Amino acid sequence: MENCHSVLELAVQAGEILLENGAEVFRVQQTMEIMAAAYGADGFHVYVLTNGIFASMQEDGKNQVARLENVPQSSVHLARIDAVNTLSRQVAQGQVSMEDAFARLEEIRQIPTLSLPLQLLACGAGSGFFAVLFGGTWPDFACAFLAGFLLQLLLWQAEKNHVNKIITKLLGAALVTAVAAVCMVVGVGRDMDKIIIGSIMPLVPGIAMTMAIRDFFNGDYLSGTIRLMDALIIGLSIAAGVGAVLTFAAEWGVQL
Amino acid sequence: MNIWDSLYQFLVSFGGTLAFGILFHVPRRQYVACGLTGAAGWVVYMWMMQVQTSTVVASLVAVLPLTALARLFANRRKAPITLFLLCGIFPLVPGAGIYYTAYYFITNQTDLTVIKGAETIKIAGALALGMVLILSLPSRLFQPLFGKSALK
Repeated sequence: MENCHSVLELAVQAGEILLENGAEVFRVQQTMEIMAAAYGADGFHVYVLTNGIFASMQEDGKNQVARLENVPQSSVHLARIDAVNTLSRQVAQGQVSMEDAFARLEEIRQIPTLSLPLQLLACGAGSGFFAVLFGGTWPDFACAFLAGFLLQLLLWQAEKNHVNKIITKLLGAALVTAVAAVCMVVGVGRDMDKIIIGSIMPLVPGIAMTMAIRDFFNGDYLSGTIRLMDALIIGLSIAAGVGAVLTFAAEWGVQL
Repeated sequence: MNIWDSLYQFLVSFGGTLAFGILFHVPRRQYVACGLTGAAGWVVYMWMMQVQTSTVVASLVAVLPLTALARLFANRRKAPITLFLLCGIFPLVPGAGIYYTAYYFITNQTDLTVIKGAETIKIAGALALGMVLILSLPSRLFQPLFGKSALK
């Protein structure tokens, strides 16, 4: 068996990449176990939460090594998950040496994120399509596109400056609502409600909520609870952002 | 819903799913598969809403073919199922429901909060249930019938 410390280190690093880029709790656990087993670890135990990894390993049945890793959630990056998955497949087949595996993990960490213009376009298009999907018309698509475009710009700025997540979501929702209101006043938008729902889609924690319940079904109650609380708090802050702008608009006598 | 409406819904949801897939950094070679997964789920959902009125039942029925498709793609294309599932589920997920619930809550519309909140939780539950159901089927059902890995 290879050095106990590096096996543990490798598994934890792989798990960390998976978790911070949006993989499910049990998949992180599974991948770490597969990788550790491939390098001949026997007493390997791991417990994964939505925001942390606990792993320990035995050396020659007596010395215990343990690792604790705090993994704050960042944005979803599925290409990195895909790459770690490929790596773990090859590790399981015994095709990758330990040094190569570490190097590959470092490469995976360097997989770039989307360029800003592409992010803006994707977010705009997504918002627009969802406005239409929820019953909006094509003029609403244009309004939601604009709102989503500006929203992603705000999210990007906020992430760069490490603004609190709840404040970011609140401001984002307020921005989207303001754009929708302006579109209505100018006369481009047809259905304000559809524009708002379409363009808050990048913010709303629908996936978090569904995955929370899926965690419950898998018996990961703690992870599910963390996700569920996350979904509730974010939902409230989005509603507060939208509500604030609508209330101000009504105060100022804007007909929407 | 006639064939043209279905096609229209298919294309719009394909676009929406793909756009968010791109935002989630799906690898480029999986773009079409992600879009297809999302569009398939949404079209089945729309069909179900034609024949009955419950959004919960429609979500449960729609997530079954969606997850099956995601599993097929994951096996065929040697990629983690998370890729297709996370993007594909996007149109069905009760994001708007969470927003409405919270909005009614902060505007003191308590009865609407309860109605919308219950619906939202049930939809999320239905989606998770359908997903877990399909994911617990034996994996040989999702092996490709032809192609490289079938020869092994």
